[in-house]
Amino acid sequence: MSEERTIELLIGPQHPSSGHMRLYAEVDGDIVVRLKPNIGYVHRTVEKLAETKKYIQIIPLVERPSLADAANHNLGYVLALEKLLGVEAPPRAQYLRTILAEMNRIHSHFYGLGIHGIMLGSSTVFMWGFADREIMIEMAQRLTGARLTYSYIIPGGVRRDLPLGFEEEMEKALRYIERRLEDYGKIFLRNPVTRARLEGVGVLKKEDAIRLGIVGPNLRASGVPYDVRKVQPYCAYPEIEFDVAVREEGDSMARVLVRVEEIRQSMRIIRQALKKIPDGPILAENYLKMIPPKWKEFMEKKGRVKFPAIMVNLRPPKGEAFSRVEAARGELVYYIISDGGTTPYRFRMVTPSFRNVVLFEHLIRECRVADIPAIYGSLDYFPPEADR
Amino acid sequence: MKRGSTPIGRLINHLEAIETGIKYLFIPRMTVKYPEEIMELPEGYRGMIKYKKELCISCSLCAQICPANAMKMYLDESELKKEGGQAKPKRRPGINYTRCIFCGFCVDICPTGALEHVGIHDVAFDSFEAQLFKPKDFEEGPPKVEFERPPKRLRPKMDPKRGIVYEPAD
Amino acid sequence: MSLSDLLKLILDLLFSPWLFVPLIFPGLITVFLLILFIIWFERKIAAKVQLRYGPLYVLKQLGGAIQLVADLLRYLFAEPIVPEQTDKLAFVLGPIFLFAVSYIPSITIPVSSSFYAIRSDIGLLISLGLLTFGPAIVLVIGWASNNKFSLIGGLREGYLTMAYEIPLFISALSMAALYGTMDLVEMVEAQSGWTWGIILNPLAAITFLILSFMSTSRFPFEIVEAESEIVMGPFTEYSGILYGLTMGASYVKFYVLCLLFSIMFLGGWQPVPSFLSWSPVLPGVILLIKSLVIMVFGVFLRSVYPRYRIDQALKMGWHMILPLSIGSVFLSLGLIVLGVVP
Repeated sequence: MSEERTIELLIGPQHPSSGHMRLYAEVDGDIVVRLKPNIGYVHRTVEKLAETKKYIQIIPLVERPSLADAANHNLGYVLALEKLLGVEAPPRAQYLRTILAEMNRIHSHFYGLGIHGIMLGSSTVFMWGFADREIMIEMAQRLTGARLTYSYIIPGGVRRDLPLGFEEEMEKALRYIERRLEDYGKIFLRNPVTRARLEGVGVLKKEDAIRLGIVGPNLRASGVPYDVRKVQPYCAYPEIEFDVAVREEGDSMARVLVRVEEIRQSMRIIRQALKKIPDGPILAENYLKMIPPKWKEFMEKKGRVKFPAIMVNLRPPKGEAFSRVEAARGELVYYIISDGGTTPYRFRMVTPSFRNVVLFEHLIRECRVADIPAIYGSLDYFPPEADR
Repeated sequence: MKRGSTPIGRLINHLEAIETGIKYLFIPRMTVKYPEEIMELPEGYRGMIKYKKELCISCSLCAQICPANAMKMYLDESELKKEGGQAKPKRRPGINYTRCIFCGFCVDICPTGALEHVGIHDVAFDSFEAQLFKPKDFEEGPPKVEFERPPKRLRPKMDPKRGIVYEPAD
Repeated sequence: MSLSDLLKLILDLLFSPWLFVPLIFPGLITVFLLILFIIWFERKIAAKVQLRYGPLYVLKQLGGAIQLVADLLRYLFAEPIVPEQTDKLAFVLGPIFLFAVSYIPSITIPVSSSFYAIRSDIGLLISLGLLTFGPAIVLVIGWASNNKFSLIGGLREGYLTMAYEIPLFISALSMAALYGTMDLVEMVEAQSGWTWGIILNPLAAITFLILSFMSTSRFPFEIVEAESEIVMGPFTEYSGILYGLTMGASYVKFYVLCLLFSIMFLGGWQPVPSFLSWSPVLPGVILLIKSLVIMVFGVFLRSVYPRYRIDQALKMGWHMILPLSIGSVFLSLGLIVLGVVP
């Protein structure tokens, strides 16, 4: 009779709350002895596909891994490409990029909050999270023309200008979200059941977070005030003031509260950007020159940009470029090597969820079976983003 | 946040949660009864594409830029039969809607403005082949839909108290 | 015997208490109709709080009211798959026994002072005792399914029984001590006027309510069927009508506990005007309405709370609710000594 105390639980891809990944858990009674994540179920070879597509065609490709957060991925790639090409976007385009990136951060955090709620059992927060996401998606639809996959940021600027009446509607939407965050606090964040489930669960200490290379709100909830928007600012962030949300405890509740605070800071950024936005063109000067003059009137009236014909065959000079962006889930890194042709020689994309995978094994240890969804949801891990 | 440490504080948090739940019993709903009610899409929505043959100059930039290889250039058959193959026959674009991702790059790059977005996105086809539009079908644009009972059209507007409010768009 | 005599005989037989109470009210037919209503109502109330519609299309004018009839028809026509490596007899008989055992305690509930199927000196103890069979059958289901998730779910039900069983009995017995009897009919008659049990001993009422949520998987104690951790708990492998039975079983148990709550704490079928007390219709309706109010509240909590962890529920049962139940016993004894007894 063998002395086996533990059973193997395969919380596999066909589980109501496992996402597109498998968690291999060894459980002794109600205590999880060990947990190993098994990722790669959604690997779509984005990096290799990018070597076969032209530079402008990589823009929709790069948005698809992380659908909840498409604009930040788009922004990171275009910043790297602009370094290779040697163009710079005009100030109005920088502000528009910032506004879209912050709108995206808000609705990505609502998505994470909703998924965490349903993993804990509160279907109300799930439905509310997705309902409030609709507000931001509707505003993004007015700005860019699509609900989720914007493809809005192109090398040299952005594709469309602000439509009429955008500022007033945005102000109403932001006021609504502020009222709603109070109700979230009452029914979920201060609910004694939620606090019993999340406080003290999955504590990540500061030294471990720095040693393991964690990024994003998970890092900031352990007391490290590191945000790429402050460390190496890009776009319009040098001219906008906002605070970095930091908490000291490092448990799951701290991670959820950091995200809610980031929603508030994003609203502050959007309000400032809408007030400070300068007038001017939305595409870089050397690309504007290449557009035939008969389109200038159309572009001014409708607020849209016609691509110059060179966009099809962009040939950056030989070299390499590197860019860092603060996506909703953490720091996102792009590295492109160009050999002078129309397709990149090497395209490397390091996503924040991939850097946070190590936390599954590190945090879910000596805790209970019911803590697995509580910690998983608080990490805001998005499997397609990690698998690319 | 410090209120929840004492039993009395926890009791107050419980009561506040239940009271918020009861408050939301009286707030109007936020959903749209699709397909009896449809949302009007804003102007500039990137939907299906219409092609104007008289403006096209056969530069094939749209097929070169399409990220999903949905646009393909076809030889114009009517001109082939007419010219007899002497001069270079023109090529016209056709679209494969099974691959189109509605990114709008082709519309933005066309140097003469021959491609244009129509504000329709939810059309259902009967077969796979019906989604491969040849240039002739492409000129006609997306298929027209006939309704037995025309749906109510609503337009979304933002509201500081209720989020999105849908008003009849008439 | 003529036809009208035969009809009269059958109707007399049907309406006699010992056939009417188990079969019609508060027995089998009411249980079925009530499950059809309360699950639909749970989905509608949760949907209203979540700013959406819930079930809508089955009977549009009534707001999708017969959605559960459609669901039941679907379960009846789906194939109940019995996996090969399970303990087949226990697998198939488990849900049937679970449903039956949850519904049987309803035969001890009296409908009015003169209309009851069973009346005994220890009526309360019989109904509570019959309710304790359920968890054992859930354990058998969890083991027989040959699935690790079902095993964990069945064990959770066993653990949870430790937490709620003892305080439930203590709270109920404290009310029995207060009224001086364990007979359900006499308990109701002792609450004449407006001195209901909930006003006399609110401590016992609150603990009995929370414990009835704990024993029937109402949120925040939906631990046995925690979907995001153990895929449906002990009922993971079921499909077809067996799944429908398992889903209904916990609601039936909740219904019986709500009936007991209204009898012990909310005055049962009081206040009935004396000129109508000969017929069981009005008292029955009053009893049903009172228990429906409690069921609606219990079902509304789904939209407010997440779920507790198993060790937190056990800790709550032993550290908080057991002392409160014992406190309610002392409260009852104090009320008896002070002579406030009705």
